[in-house]
Amino acid sequence: MQKTEVSKKIKISFELNNRKINMDVKPSSLLLDILRDELGMKGTKPGCNEGECGACTVLINGNAINSCLYLAVNANGKEITTIEGLVKNDGTLDHVQKAIIDNGAVQCGFCTSGMIMSIKSIENYYLSQNNNVKNKKKPNKEEIKKWLEGNLCRCTGYIKIIDAAEKVLINEE
Amino acid sequence: MNFNIEIPASKNELIELLSEYKNKKYRIGAGCTDLIMELRKKPEDDLTVINISQINDEDFNNIKLSNNKIVIGANTNVVKICTNNEVVTNFPTLKEAAQNLASNQIRQVATIGGNICTASPSGDLICALMALKANLEIIDFAGNKRSVSILEFYKGVRITDLKKSEFLSSIEIDLNKVNPKNMYSGFIKIGTRKSMECSVVSLAYHIQLNENYKVISAGLAFGASAPTVIFAYDACDFLINKNITELKNNEIDEFANHILKYASPIDDLRATAWYRKQVLFNISKSILEEFSKTN
Repeated sequence: MQKTEVSKKIKISFELNNRKINMDVKPSSLLLDILRDELGMKGTKPGCNEGECGACTVLINGNAINSCLYLAVNANGKEITTIEGLVKNDGTLDHVQKAIIDNGAVQCGFCTSGMIMSIKSIENYYLSQNNNVKNKKKPNKEEIKKWLEGNLCRCTGYIKIIDAAEKVLINEE
Repeated sequence: MNFNIEIPASKNELIELLSEYKNKKYRIGAGCTDLIMELRKKPEDDLTVINISQINDEDFNNIKLSNNKIVIGANTNVVKICTNNEVVTNFPTLKEAAQNLASNQIRQVATIGGNICTASPSGDLICALMALKANLEIIDFAGNKRSVSILEFYKGVRITDLKKSEFLSSIEIDLNKVNPKNMYSGFIKIGTRKSMECSVVSLAYHIQLNENYKVISAGLAFGASAPTVIFAYDACDFLINKNITELKNNEIDEFANHILKYASPIDDLRATAWYRKQVLFNISKSILEEFSKTN
């Protein structure tokens, strides 16, 4: 059992974008804050800080969560992926990122990294469902919209974002 | 926001901690999606959060079938509830409430125990669990267990029967008496948008019928229109032994009035009391009207 006081920090270790991280965090630190302020992952955006807007979405073990409502101590032992982790070592973008660009689904860009992480989590979900299955399941447009309900965009009207998600999740083989 | 933290790794460690903290200030946090918001708005001094999300216990974190009951561990996240086969087949009202709770990101982290113990008057899972007449299993600091019906668990706005040094361990729901095709079960949530919405009004219904459409068991509960989620006893009694396909318009009105009479909503930023009552009346009628249309 780990015990700690306000002044004391707590040791955690996790994988961030395939890199092992060991660090000490305050008991009340949020994942969003340590990602941005201590680990330099500024692609994860602080938006509403209330779990409404999804700008701070990151993946924990492949699933999308709001990093503004997630205690940093609970990252212990997990695999965390931020938008920075999607780029391949040679600098090429992930196909979700490419689809967002190709569809012109970015205006101010503030929601974009959260949106991409959410689309990535849909892809991860279907990959896990389709493991060793002959007839691969795919989401339909309504299901994609439902998956993206926790991500707000105040510029694009969503159409191009959903088009990009459809391209990756439905049209690509 | 500043607090101490305790991170038990098992239920036994949690029980030890509750005993240690008997006379100290603490809050239990599971997914912490509500707790973080609350502590950010109203920080508390010298607070310890007992963070139960790292408890590694199969029963505490999952759903299982046991002796004609479905037992849901209090630490089960909402995603597991809306995708679990037993829940999907037997309790559509719970599945629909879970599916419409907040957003995917929050459903990954938020737990059923958190939703129950936060005791929001608009708690979506609470509403469905009331319609299902669920029982709550509670454990105290000495390891003693007790069971309480969710219908008797809520004492006021965000006040529950859970005493200091107790925690919610699991939720038990009796399997249906009838097979799923003779069940009429669902969850209606009214709000200004479909997602991320705190309900203006919600209504959960779970009705079991015999082969001739006669109601043999009914559970009806509504949210966001009283200090707690409310179970509409008289509306359930009204339906028993009635043929659900042969209800006349005046009977449907009478049924809706049996729900409405329990409502005591307030005006707030989401809706006025008048509007909530009107909507509750209309959706109450709609569940019976819809049944006649679709069967």
